[in-house]
Amino acid sequence: MSLSFRRFLAAVLLGTLASAAAEAHGLVLVMNSAEASLSVVDMDTHRELSRIPVLREPHHWALSPDGRDLLVGDTVGNQLLDLDPATFALRRRVAVADPYQLGFSPDGKFLTVNGNGRNQVDIYDGATLGLVKRFPLRRTPSHLAYAPDSGRVFVTLQDSDQVAAIDLRTMTVLWDEKVGKVPAGIMWLNNRLIVALMGEDGLAVLDPASGQVERRIRTGAGAHQLFLSPDRKILWVNNRVAGTTVALDPTSLQEIRAYRVSGGPDDIVFAPDGKLWITQRFARSLAILDPATGQIETVAVGRQPHGIFMNPAADAATLSASN
Amino acid sequence: MSPTLPFDLAAGWLEEHVVLPALYAVGLMNWEEVAFGWALFAVYGAAQVVLTYAVCVPLERWRPVERWPDARAVTVDILYTLISRVGLLPFITYVMFYRFQVTLNGWLTDNGFVPPTLEGFFPFLLGRPALTFLLYVVILDFSEYWRHRLSHVFDWWYSLHSLHHAQRQMTFWSDDRNHLLDDIIGFVWFMGVALLIGIPPLQFPLLVLLLRFIESLSHANARLRFGRLGERLVVSPRFHRAHHGLMAAGVASVNFGGVLPWWDMLFRTADFSHDYVPTGDPTAEEALATGSYAQQQWAGVRRLARTLTGREPHASAS
Repeated sequence: MSLSFRRFLAAVLLGTLASAAAEAHGLVLVMNSAEASLSVVDMDTHRELSRIPVLREPHHWALSPDGRDLLVGDTVGNQLLDLDPATFALRRRVAVADPYQLGFSPDGKFLTVNGNGRNQVDIYDGATLGLVKRFPLRRTPSHLAYAPDSGRVFVTLQDSDQVAAIDLRTMTVLWDEKVGKVPAGIMWLNNRLIVALMGEDGLAVLDPASGQVERRIRTGAGAHQLFLSPDRKILWVNNRVAGTTVALDPTSLQEIRAYRVSGGPDDIVFAPDGKLWITQRFARSLAILDPATGQIETVAVGRQPHGIFMNPAADAATLSASN
Repeated sequence: MSPTLPFDLAAGWLEEHVVLPALYAVGLMNWEEVAFGWALFAVYGAAQVVLTYAVCVPLERWRPVERWPDARAVTVDILYTLISRVGLLPFITYVMFYRFQVTLNGWLTDNGFVPPTLEGFFPFLLGRPALTFLLYVVILDFSEYWRHRLSHVFDWWYSLHSLHHAQRQMTFWSDDRNHLLDDIIGFVWFMGVALLIGIPPLQFPLLVLLLRFIESLSHANARLRFGRLGERLVVSPRFHRAHHGLMAAGVASVNFGGVLPWWDMLFRTADFSHDYVPTGDPTAEEALATGSYAQQQWAGVRRLARTLTGREPHASAS
């Protein structure tokens, strides 16, 4: 048994033990991108409780650094929906052009919004949501990641096979480099950038200073998104074409185990009981993967579920009173 | 269970097991997201064809208006239907419309305008998808009435539209029989209106399926009427057949409505008096009626050229 696999099992076991002490409660919010709605799913019963209508096409979300505002981007509706993360009640709508992927900088100073259809990356003031600077970047800005010191944001440009680095202090583009076919998910990990290549069969590891590819890691065809487990012990990668969710050692980037997840696995959130909740883009469902057993339970939601947000502390009773 | 679930799952299966591996193999994974839009269109389009076939074929056999010893002219209409509902056309129109909508509405948002949507005009519609869709249907059908009517007013436009009217063996397959240039004009027209009211292309697929079914049914070679009241609520095969009548080809036509006959009644172009008239366009050359797909398209271009150079007679009723 390899060291990585032992660590993996330990992490899963710890998660399971923790769940025995505090059984998962709470709510999950799913962005149904082709049905103009948000599904609210009960974490206890694994059933959809309600569906919140939105204008057009919700894809991704960002939680404000103080945890008080959950922003959901309605891409074609050109709106940010400001929701209460505890009840999912709508507080206000903010007019923003083409909000696809979005995220607050770790220091909360900026909100970066990728305009996927309009080839632009907008930097907003994190407090006022006023536009600070727009960067026209061709083509198809997709996912984003910040440097831990909030000084730079890195954006994948899906249709031009590039990653661009933006300096948030000088508001200039530092570099834009070819990294491989159709880069999608991106993450800062161990002072390197890890990029999922949807047109290839794995990840590219980049030097964040120059954007040069240092090595490639094979995970499976159509690598799309990557997530670090809350305990930072496992890097999870979803492979869209292979239909797999793969666990990697975050230090060595070696594969620990691969799970078959059909239906176009996309975004992941981690439940306190150690299970992964994964949106299945083409299956109108969520897959709840138990990494200890490999068993998968599915939960029906709306058409083309994409982004997924979990609040284990949210309460269904509060939800019904507020929505 | 949601009634759209089987269609969505079929589209998902198509995307996951056919489209994605193909895109990956040829290095076009950047198209994977819009390809799912096509997969949905294709599945719903195929469902439209199957539903229409299942209903209309028995009807046409049970109570045909006409019987033809040789129905080869119908074959090309099947090709039109497949291209229009399942194949390339939905993909192109979806991608073009989507991209244009994102660009235009994003630009409007940047400049301080709220992009128009029906739900924006009437906020109570948000969260009432069925009612919202019905309003979209009424508005779009009104717009289609005028597009169709104008295609009979302008000679250059009718020279393209005459391909649709040239069919003497009209069946439910004839609905999609259009010249490509006429289709493009129709798409631009639709896009203009859809952008004005902010129509979401994939939000109401099942109801779109139903509407396309009504349009196909209205072309059926079947003695079918909906009764005195029903004919005034929804376009029937009898009502629409009058529009395709020999006497009505060209500028003097009647019954332009696609789904709702209300606009014909409102603008005094409705004619409920005719019973199952023969169809066709006596002013159209034979290739437009019985040629192959390519021959029909080329004949349409020739007729357009003749019209633009003043060599085509005025397309009035013969």
